[in-house]
Amino acid sequence: MAHKEPMTLPGKERIILELLASNGPMYGLQLVEQSEGALKRGTVYVTLGRMEAKGLVDSQQEPFPAGGIGLPRRIYRPTALGKRVLRAWTAFARELAWEMKP
Amino acid sequence: MTGSTNRRRVPGTTLLKIAALLFNEHLVSAVIEPTIADLQREIADAGPSRMKRLRARCRGYCAFCRLTLIAPFASPAAPAGDAGAVAFPDAIARLVVGSMVFILLAAFGPVLGVWIAAVTAAGALFAIAIHAWYERHPSEMPIPTEPQRYSPQINFSSTEIAGNVGGLIFAVGSVFIVVVGLPSVILFLVAATMAGCVLAWGLAAWHTAHPKYGLPANRIVWR
Repeated sequence: MAHKEPMTLPGKERIILELLASNGPMYGLQLVEQSEGALKRGTVYVTLGRMEAKGLVDSQQEPFPAGGIGLPRRIYRPTALGKRVLRAWTAFARELAWEMKP
Repeated sequence: MTGSTNRRRVPGTTLLKIAALLFNEHLVSAVIEPTIADLQREIADAGPSRMKRLRARCRGYCAFCRLTLIAPFASPAAPAGDAGAVAFPDAIARLVVGSMVFILLAAFGPVLGVWIAAVTAAGALFAIAIHAWYERHPSEMPIPTEPQRYSPQINFSSTEIAGNVGGLIFAVGSVFIVVVGLPSVILFLVAATMAGCVLAWGLAAWHTAHPKYGLPANRIVWR
């Protein structure tokens, strides 16, 4: 995916990428529970949808259980681009913290 | 009869129907459906405890309400090439109209009276519902090629409505408005509505059984 402008990583997207990178593929509700209040149930899928459109995460519908009722859930995993962006962003933040050290 | 389990409503079914009215398919599949799937899973995981199930339901409904408010403004981008999926202006327009109705209701309710304010709000919401229905079920009535001449008159029969559920809603709504204005004729209007429905059903059945007869404009389309 070619980006004309440098990609930014808002706080919530960074948290999601960090959780996905450290814990592996997760459902939206699991992300909310693991984020300790940083992510909200009503907004997490809006953020995930935006990240999917940017190519940072990838999603797949869970297989429908036999005899199950209701809608199948969606499981999210980071893409290669998402992992690279997170690595770059972490390095940048570390560098910035070092520069700002008193 | 297949037992009570199959008859039980799956939680979130109504929410999904509401979302389908408000948002486009992309938003429903990418954002609304996973939220409702979480609600259903949480309720299922709550086990037999009624309190736990109720709490899970409340959390899910709150999440859905918050999502409904923010989704039109903070929507995920549609996939490339899916040009038809972006219909957020519609969702925003409905949200704005709905909000205006409630503001009017709150601001002018004490002045105009609760009844008038309630009828205005119900009418506006009804209009939004009919508009949404027609967007999904566009009328198949042919558009006349020649301009039709109407003489100026106040006449319900000169109002063109489609022969489908939207038309039925319009007709019943019109009768309801007259009943509000003239309560003394309620029995006559109820009887006339029932007779009209029976006649319409009979005509529809006849036209379905005899498709060769009748003008194309009077073609019956079952939905």
